[in-house]
Amino acid sequence: MKKICIIPAYNEAEHITEVISRVRPFVDEIVVVDDCSSDDTAQLAQAAGATVLKHPINRGQGAALQTGNDYALLKNADIIIHFDADNQFCAEEIPDLILPITSGRAQVALGSRFLTKKSKLPASKKNIIMPLARLVNRLFFNIKLSDPQSGFRVFSKEAAQKIEIKNDGMAHCSEILHQLFKNKLKIEEVPITVVYHEFGQKFSSGFKIIKDLLIRKIIK
Amino acid sequence: MLQQIFALVIIALFIWRLFEQKNKKKINLNEFYFWLIFWCLGALAIVFIRQIDRLVEFLGFSGSGINFLLYLTVMILFYLVFKLRLSLAKLDSNLTEIARKIALDKVNKLDDENTKENKDQ
Repeated sequence: MKKICIIPAYNEAEHITEVISRVRPFVDEIVVVDDCSSDDTAQLAQAAGATVLKHPINRGQGAALQTGNDYALLKNADIIIHFDADNQFCAEEIPDLILPITSGRAQVALGSRFLTKKSKLPASKKNIIMPLARLVNRLFFNIKLSDPQSGFRVFSKEAAQKIEIKNDGMAHCSEILHQLFKNKLKIEEVPITVVYHEFGQKFSSGFKIIKDLLIRKIIK
Repeated sequence: MLQQIFALVIIALFIWRLFEQKNKKKINLNEFYFWLIFWCLGALAIVFIRQIDRLVEFLGFSGSGINFLLYLTVMILFYLVFKLRLSLAKLDSNLTEIARKIALDKVNKLDDENTKENKDQ
């Protein structure tokens, strides 16, 4: 089974080499989608042995993930993994997320920071932002999952073919979940550990996500 | 009366500019007709402001016809801003498609070159 890991990256020169070396043992190919970084992210990724796709202009994480998905499907990948470039996920947990798919239990595995494993989340993120994100997902899409904003996910080829990320920015997390439910794909949540180096998304980003979701609903 | 003449002169100036832009081919025919109709309607509204006053009163609105026109203009502006926002979002989406195509084409080209090199060796 061909496993391709997609890592969207924007100015991640500090972490990208380490992330690639940690992910490499678990996949067949690593694809870094460089979203027009102004630092050496692309060169470092290439030197570390990853396939680098370069956006000529900055388009956002959602756009980078879809570019990666398109590439992986072109290369006939059986398993497509989404992984962050900021070294906050544990690459050792990739097999845990692949297992539900290879065993046939699910078509999509979603990493969750709120199941059994303990992730050190900032208090405001745990107590305010995540409950709000869950509420938005329930109101907009009737989705009930423990972690609505996790960027660690694994798709089977069939599932990836049914997903088309249209939200270029951070609203892609909710959009992906919506499409998974709309296409009635079998989903399994898998506990993951996240080590926070930085806070991640700001509170104001939440409002931008809601605005993007609304606009996308209107223009679709 | 003086205010009406002043407003009509301003509209005439805008229409004159519009014809100028059309002659210089800075706007297309559809845009030209849209703005021409827009300014003509504006001029008509100013000429028949008394009748609009009566119509507004008949419809049960408080305030004068000119106020009503102002509210209407604000509503139209809101609508145009909304339309503009949507067309910007569509433009944004097209831009992403182009960026994606460039990224994928580049890597495919590189792949083809590598395959050719390997074959040559």
